[in-house]
Amino acid sequence: MKKKKWKLIRQIWDLIRGSTFIKLGVSIIIIFGIMAVFSPIWVNRNPEIYDPIIGVDPDVHGSEGPSLKHPLGTDYIGKDLFSQLLRGSQIAFILGIMVSVLSTTIGTIVGLVAGYYGRIVDIILMRLADIILTLPRLPLLIVISGIFGTQSNWIILLILSFTFWPTISRVIRSQTLSLRERPFIESAKVSGVGNRRIILRHLAPNVLPITFYYLTVTVTGAILVEAGLSFLGFGDPSNMSWGMMLKWCFTTGYVFKAPYWMIPPGLCISALAFSFYLIGVGLEEIVNPRLKKR
Amino acid sequence: MSMERYILSRVIQIIIIFFIVMSIIFLLFRVIPSDPTSFLLTPSMTAEAKEAIREQFGLNEPIITQYYLYFKNFFHGNFGNSFYGGRSVMNIIKERMLNSIFLVTTAVILSYIIGITVGKAIAWKRGSKTEKFFVGLGLWFYTMFTPWLGILFLWIFAFKLHLFPLGGMITSEVWIANPSLIEKICDLIHHLILPLITYVVLWFGGYMLLMRNSMLETLREDYIITARAKGLKEKDIRDKHAARNALLPIVTAFAISISFSITGAVLIETVFSWPGIGRTIVEATLRQDYPLVQGAFAIITIVVLIANFMADIAYAYLDPRISY
Repeated sequence: MKKKKWKLIRQIWDLIRGSTFIKLGVSIIIIFGIMAVFSPIWVNRNPEIYDPIIGVDPDVHGSEGPSLKHPLGTDYIGKDLFSQLLRGSQIAFILGIMVSVLSTTIGTIVGLVAGYYGRIVDIILMRLADIILTLPRLPLLIVISGIFGTQSNWIILLILSFTFWPTISRVIRSQTLSLRERPFIESAKVSGVGNRRIILRHLAPNVLPITFYYLTVTVTGAILVEAGLSFLGFGDPSNMSWGMMLKWCFTTGYVFKAPYWMIPPGLCISALAFSFYLIGVGLEEIVNPRLKKR
Repeated sequence: MSMERYILSRVIQIIIIFFIVMSIIFLLFRVIPSDPTSFLLTPSMTAEAKEAIREQFGLNEPIITQYYLYFKNFFHGNFGNSFYGGRSVMNIIKERMLNSIFLVTTAVILSYIIGITVGKAIAWKRGSKTEKFFVGLGLWFYTMFTPWLGILFLWIFAFKLHLFPLGGMITSEVWIANPSLIEKICDLIHHLILPLITYVVLWFGGYMLLMRNSMLETLREDYIITARAKGLKEKDIRDKHAARNALLPIVTAFAISISFSITGAVLIETVFSWPGIGRTIVEATLRQDYPLVQGAFAIITIVVLIANFMADIAYAYLDPRISY
């Protein structure tokens, strides 16, 4: 058993080493991972000055450029931008990964069930997916956030997952449709294997590569949409995400005066979104034989 | 199933989806925790004035009547009046929608053409350094944070180099002076270029990668080998045999891109203060101007539905192999 585990880790390691895309993606993610872990260490040195939400440096008036005390400078009321950036990477990771796991899980299960059972189950689930897909995502999120009034990251997490699962379930469904007709499913049915076991043991492992692909790509989508929402002013006000940093920079009129404030959050959003997408593309090149070199 | 029946069934489906979506919008705006009139009413208002406003928005009727009134008003193009300024919502939306369509269609067409051309070329050079570079570049821009790129462009080209205006769609001083048509168009284009470039830079990558993948799949088909065996020119094989067939999946992507481009429009319009529908829905939501939010959201949804429908039809028309 232990040997098998090592073999799997070796396999994953070889996969990562073999693809430039995955290598680059994983390296960027590790950098941001270190930032997220470093965040409490940086803040706890002196929370009164460095806390990203309530900490204010009393010696600073207005936004000031980078200094030894504040490596990235301060915002318009003297909050440390570096600690905001570190906190932002925590939020991006947590939100991105949670949305991705939640929506990919729902999408995979719905896709498998719709594809395997077919008929009325399929029609109902896929029409539901169609309806959600035709709703324009960002306006929908804006309207919902506006209606709920007070936004929290939990509501953002739920509605993001709600809009992301249909894409995944459609792909998984079409894959399941073709798998269902294969002889090994037929023989499983004939030998009296229950439906649930067929789905879990025989169908699910075969759609896993697609699920993994969407797992990474959805993180990108979630990070970008959350950042967009926060930038527009619909983020969780009790926390400081990268999108919100850019929003404050934009709305307080420092956007052209303070490049030390404007550049880092946008760069972080783009880089982290990029890295997860790279891994997805790398996986796609490995999994989809049609994209391989002739 | 014949083509006509396929179209008919799609139309029916879309009408059903339309009613469901409109009902969702209706319900959303009826579960608003706070009273929507509270934003209209100042404490100094008399009770009669408050009542008149409730009456005007039909808020005293039972929910079923409200539902009926909602659809009736909708089909008469009547979304009520904006809470701010009292202008008819329909007029605001018409004007803003045109501004958005102007920006978005120009941008989508441009990025489409650039994306397909580059995608075609790099698929042909599979494995080369050029291909790797463009794939990397396309991915980087594709996953870039839209408002940030917009702000960067504004900072460099408008603020530092003074090449373009800092935002908006027209310079009102120029338009008040009653200029000639050419001057008006020049002014408009001057304002259009920066948001347009931002859009194209962000979106060509998506089309490029799609075209590349689609080309790579087409290039494995037997008829490409046949074309090679016949000794056709490389350029002819690429453009006439492979690229034409590789375009099919891109057509479906077009519909999806309409829905995506609305997300982009919301963000780009906000950064560049472009008076479009995306910025309207953001501002209206922030001000809790519910009639305007409801109308704008309904119109955006309808545009997306129609775009999806047209893509389905185009796809069915282009690909004879498709079974409806």
